[in-house]
Amino acid sequence: MFPKVPDQHKIGKPLVPNGLGVIYVLFTTVYLFLIYFSGIAKASNGVSAPLTLAVCILFGGFMGLLDDWMDLKWRYKAFMPLIAALPLIYLAIENGLRTSISLPFIGMIQFHEAYYFIIIPLIVMIVTNTVNQLGGLNGLETVCPAIILIGLMVLSQFSYLLLMLGPLILWLALAALNFKGKIFVGNTGSFAIGMTIASFAVITDLKSSLLVSILPYIFNSALILLTIFLFKKRASVSFDGKKLVSDQRRSLVTLITYRRPLTEHQVVALISLLMVIFMSIAVLIELPWPLLT
Amino acid sequence: MVQNGLLSPYWPTPWINTQQWYPDGLDMSGSLPALPMTAAILYNIISWLGVNVDLMAFVSLLPVIFGTFACLIIYFIGKDMGGKAVGLFAALFLALAPSFLQRTALGFFDTEVPGMLGLLLFIFLFLRAIDETRSLRSSLIYSIGSGMALAYFIGAWGAAYFLLDLAVFFVFVLILLKRYSQRLLLSYSLTFGLALFIATKVPYISLGYLTSGPVIPIAGVFLLLCLAEVLRNNISARTKVSLIVATITALVGGFVVMWQLGHMQGIAGKFISVLDPFVRSAAPLIESVAEHRVSAWGNIYFELGLGILFFLAGLYFTLRNPTNRNVFLLLFGATSLYFAASMVRLLVIFASAFSLLAAIGILGILKPFYALLREAPQLAIKSKRRIARVSKEYSGVAIFLVFMLLVTNLAFSPQSGGMPRVYSQAYAPITVSAASLPVVPSEPAQEWLDMLSWTQNNLQSTTVVCAWWDYGYWLSILGNVTTLADNATVNGTQIENIGFSFMAPEQQSLKMLECYNAKYILVFTTLGLGSPTTQQQYQYIASPAGFGDEGKWMWMARISGQARDRFIQTGFIGEELAWTDENTFGSRDNQTGAWQWNNVGKNSTIYKLLSWAKQRWTEVSGGGVVGPDEAGVQPEYFTEAYFAGVDLNPIDASAKYGGLIPLVALYEIDWQKYYTEIGQP
Repeated sequence: MFPKVPDQHKIGKPLVPNGLGVIYVLFTTVYLFLIYFSGIAKASNGVSAPLTLAVCILFGGFMGLLDDWMDLKWRYKAFMPLIAALPLIYLAIENGLRTSISLPFIGMIQFHEAYYFIIIPLIVMIVTNTVNQLGGLNGLETVCPAIILIGLMVLSQFSYLLLMLGPLILWLALAALNFKGKIFVGNTGSFAIGMTIASFAVITDLKSSLLVSILPYIFNSALILLTIFLFKKRASVSFDGKKLVSDQRRSLVTLITYRRPLTEHQVVALISLLMVIFMSIAVLIELPWPLLT
Repeated sequence: MVQNGLLSPYWPTPWINTQQWYPDGLDMSGSLPALPMTAAILYNIISWLGVNVDLMAFVSLLPVIFGTFACLIIYFIGKDMGGKAVGLFAALFLALAPSFLQRTALGFFDTEVPGMLGLLLFIFLFLRAIDETRSLRSSLIYSIGSGMALAYFIGAWGAAYFLLDLAVFFVFVLILLKRYSQRLLLSYSLTFGLALFIATKVPYISLGYLTSGPVIPIAGVFLLLCLAEVLRNNISARTKVSLIVATITALVGGFVVMWQLGHMQGIAGKFISVLDPFVRSAAPLIESVAEHRVSAWGNIYFELGLGILFFLAGLYFTLRNPTNRNVFLLLFGATSLYFAASMVRLLVIFASAFSLLAAIGILGILKPFYALLREAPQLAIKSKRRIARVSKEYSGVAIFLVFMLLVTNLAFSPQSGGMPRVYSQAYAPITVSAASLPVVPSEPAQEWLDMLSWTQNNLQSTTVVCAWWDYGYWLSILGNVTTLADNATVNGTQIENIGFSFMAPEQQSLKMLECYNAKYILVFTTLGLGSPTTQQQYQYIASPAGFGDEGKWMWMARISGQARDRFIQTGFIGEELAWTDENTFGSRDNQTGAWQWNNVGKNSTIYKLLSWAKQRWTEVSGGGVVGPDEAGVQPEYFTEAYFAGVDLNPIDASAKYGGLIPLVALYEIDWQKYYTEIGQP
């Protein structure tokens, strides 16, 4: 039932079913509805966290579906996630979440009201789009977000952890299949998981960990956007039948494979490792250090 | 109207109802006639048909029936705009819009009820009237219909200014878009001519309406339409230029002259404050009315949820295809959103624009998927899209996702903890039968009803009962006594005076109440039960819950504080005792946020009236103490006449109202004691 697209980095470019991210979206929505009905996560101050999360992910998936379907223009893709920021802003205000972000080396930045109306929309917009931008290799668009999600879940309270437990297991299954080149999650999956990370971080108030852990993503997007704006050139990686190689450094993938042929799995493993490193830094920062000394 | 004829409030002499806004009374001829007339006519018809129903029950049911009709009409508007599916979605969304449901609920016999009907009927008929694909004959019929609908709307709801100017603005935009046609001129003149002709016959509206600021543009656009008609004909460029110059001069000159001559009536404060919400912060009388509040964006999101997505999509699709109808919808959506953001009450107008646009948005999004779902499966789409082959099932998934988005909006909405507001709204009882508490009791709460039946049985209809204006309608209409103020808020000075009576010390308060021949004074207070203390049996601590006058008195202080100088000059109070706002009476505790009365506050009439009612509750109901731990203060000149709710014990209160206790306290004013002490007047 799923549309098939050719896998560019395999010999013979076999057709692979695409858009399986929709399974994640539907499963997560139903899962979160069930969490809501079970009463495990009570509404606080009149706002229900599982439902807020469900609505954001649903919207992310929907947006990805539109993109898979009709290739949304960049201006829509950049700004559409703002709609999904609404439920998060509402939740943040009603629950009076902290309006400050503490960053390593910089310290605490107090945003006051601007946190709700500027920072949250920015988080949603940047995270969903940067996550969407790092992809194109088998496993890349599924494994890396999974690492960040696991990190955030480690740092969150148990009641929040429960919200994403089922979806994470499903996502890991999809990631395994994706890594093996059996399926693609498509933009549906990629926007949905991006939205998951953004909204989960806002709801659990883990935005500084989020900012540290998505640095590789931001680096990748910055590289891509800068070369497009400055040189009007797009990143592309060439495939010689076995290994990937590139002659420019216009994205994270091309940077890694710059005049250094690597297999697809090697590239994905390297980038995943990078993700793990940054996620570990984020986790280490958050650990209650005074207790350890 | 039912007893004395439809025109009785207006003709031959205006009916001054002295039971409200005593002593001046309420000039009933100065009220908008559409609602009562509609009700009276329909009531007469069903009585004539032999249906025996109480008038009060009938008018309670009317909003529900009208709301249903409004949904039906929006179906036809939607059908004209994008087919049956759009119509059905629009009707569904309107029916499920919380603000619409609230204002067409059982018992909501207010101006919005005929207003919404008139608004939608006008939009439906006017858009058909300017439709050039129709025959001239049907255009004429629709124009007459839309004129009558507009007249009905003007006679129904003060918000008519909005619709008038929206329609005028729409026609103006059509001229700018070079879409002028003779049909437009014809329908416009007929609709507005007829509407204003009928509407100005209403005494309250009168001919002055024509020269009021918001109505003048009708004439201006009419001139422009005439100009466009002339320019359409083959005339020389020179004549064209001079005609344009002449028209502009006439428009500007006419405006200046009217302005100078003072013919431009100022628009009532409420309407100005809609245009510029910041005016309101300076006007506590308007601001204290909850439905006049500026709605925060959160309010709009709370109401619409992620349906905003479909609304935006709808805006996008209408922008892409700017037919005349879509241009109207675009303007309607944008302006009503602006006004709804400015005043909570106007969310109901926005609800109809929202319903239409969201319906168009959903259908626009679903169209390609739906088309594919119906196609034969072997057909592949040829396009440069990345997905080479899309199966039917996959487009089914897309439709299912949209469905799920709607589910989170209409079945379990995150912003209200799961239960969408529309359902909580649907189960919300009429305020009086919930004793004005924010709860949904399983059966009507008796406290207020007991009080109203007590006044009905024990007092005369001419007995003056002073109360804050929130309870005015209940007391005068259901309780059948004479009141000083109600929600009509027609006399700001009188409301200041009532606020003064409550806030001043007893003697000064009586000086004011004397002017109004008041015999009784009523306060309403609510207590919230804390958890029981187990020290001596079960003792509940009840503290002010904030839903009665214990929360409203701040408005009494602010509103009366505005007239501080007047009270001093007219000798009602000395300068040392006068106040400008609530801060004279105490302060808010920084730690707990609870209000701390100071000595001035504890000497105010309202404090004593509230305090004594609470004291009586602890004595009568048993099992409860009042916190903060203050001894009950008995007023000197006010004696207990009837206190409803004092016998409500904590166990019943927990079971019935979730731990809230409504106390309606009616005090008789002891004039004899007062006169003995200060000497006869």
